[in-house]
Amino acid sequence: MNKETLTRVAKNAHLAFSEEDVERYCVSLGEMINQLNILDEVPKEEAYVVNPVEIADILRDDVSGIFMDPYELLKGMKTYENYVRGPRLL
Amino acid sequence: MTDISRISALNEKYSIFARMADDPKTDSEFLFSAEDNLTSKDIETRCGSRILDGHRPVFDAYVIEKMKAYGGELIGKTNMDEFGAGSFCTNSSFGVPKNPFDMERSCGGAAGGSACAAAVIEDHISLAASTNGSICCPASFCGVFGLAPTYGRISKFGLVDCSNSIDKVGLISSDPKRIAEFLPVISGKDARDPTSCAQPPLELKGRKIKTVAVPKDALSNLSKDVASCFDSSLDALKGMGIEVDTVEMPSLKYAQPACTVIAAAEASTNLASYVGMRYGQQDGDLSLKFDDYFTSVRTEYFGEEVKKRIILGTFVRMGEARERYYMKSLKARHLVISCYKKVFEDHDAVLTPTMPIISPRFDEISMMTSAGSDQAGRLTAPPDLAGMPHISVPCGYSGNGMPIGMQMVTDHWNEDPLLTFANDWGSVFDIKRPEVTL
Repeated sequence: MNKETLTRVAKNAHLAFSEEDVERYCVSLGEMINQLNILDEVPKEEAYVVNPVEIADILRDDVSGIFMDPYELLKGMKTYENYVRGPRLL
Repeated sequence: MTDISRISALNEKYSIFARMADDPKTDSEFLFSAEDNLTSKDIETRCGSRILDGHRPVFDAYVIEKMKAYGGELIGKTNMDEFGAGSFCTNSSFGVPKNPFDMERSCGGAAGGSACAAAVIEDHISLAASTNGSICCPASFCGVFGLAPTYGRISKFGLVDCSNSIDKVGLISSDPKRIAEFLPVISGKDARDPTSCAQPPLELKGRKIKTVAVPKDALSNLSKDVASCFDSSLDALKGMGIEVDTVEMPSLKYAQPACTVIAAAEASTNLASYVGMRYGQQDGDLSLKFDDYFTSVRTEYFGEEVKKRIILGTFVRMGEARERYYMKSLKARHLVISCYKKVFEDHDAVLTPTMPIISPRFDEISMMTSAGSDQAGRLTAPPDLAGMPHISVPCGYSGNGMPIGMQMVTDHWNEDPLLTFANDWGSVFDIKRPEVTL
């Protein structure tokens, strides 16, 4: 993995790296990606599965209900007037 | 010494738990532990990561709920590699468990704390999750039994998502009878996890394994001790009346890289929710713009190995890499499943050593690259990728006394013969427990 790719991917992933980190991660990720080259041998036309076993669509009754008290869920969060606090958007 | 104070002393010595229960009940029917990626309302859940420091979920995971309803008391949350990223349980922010057979060596990962607990606490059962050998590897290194059931057999409600299409909850214990006792307690359909809803009933009828297939490629690049113990085990199996065949399973070579890609791709999306809001660490500078805030929190609190997995997982989902790595991995999964199914037409199980090496020393691990560490999981990746049930049982000891395990895999939903085998094996193989002095 080259530096440009790493920097672009890191930005998407919301991670920041120093120059020194970039060097190190490029080497390590390059080795990991080299090990994946064997996947080139997998035939293109092979079928694929997302889950290893069949997953059933089971619909529950359409009854409204509350899974969990929202105020209970807010207990561990930093809040202001029962809204979750977060950074500015603009 | 009471049970609780003895467990505290064991924890002090071996760094088993990321957190122990504050005030556990002493009159419960049994004590159990759970890997720190299973939510527990009375004990912090941090997945070995600083980014979740202080996270106290408001509900118990399905499996913890079931164990408590069965009379159990959760004694602690066991140490694990941060979000499962690692093979040796050395990537935890809250303590690295020490192997009870040699404290200079690893317990294996990701669920190293759970295997350590099973090895040193009498009559103990521990809940753990498996993504890429995370149950069988530590079970093998610590000389205990570890079962990863079929994908979907046990509800994952309350398991902190890492790799949704691979993760499964299982059990580790020094006694296979305990695993057989608790599997029915925690398995079954749960509407809160749709992947558990298509399963046939679990039937434990004592079905025996009569024929096993040993993939030829699994026998290459094994350490001398592992190869020798595995050979002796094959003789012992034959002595039990089990037919042993060597077979070709060429597609298994794709399993480890495919598992790495899928696990990283899924983890990179699941871990996107940890941004310094709602869970764990929330002490970032809120005056920053949201992109900068998220980046600063994630950069500070995620560990190095997790960052590598996030980068790899993000990369393999982008542009041309998606077809080359991610889609090819899904296709490889199909090939691996087909390969197993073909062998199961003529055999009851597939058998390999669990790990190609004995537990490495910590100084050896510190010299390993991430790629090298992934390679150690080449025998445990195939059944995890294929969602097939597998169990690691102790099968021998190296010249320096370290445990060695072998791994039996059966077809989807066939946990019964695995448990019967583990029980039968437990009565013919001389299992050693570590010497524990406090």
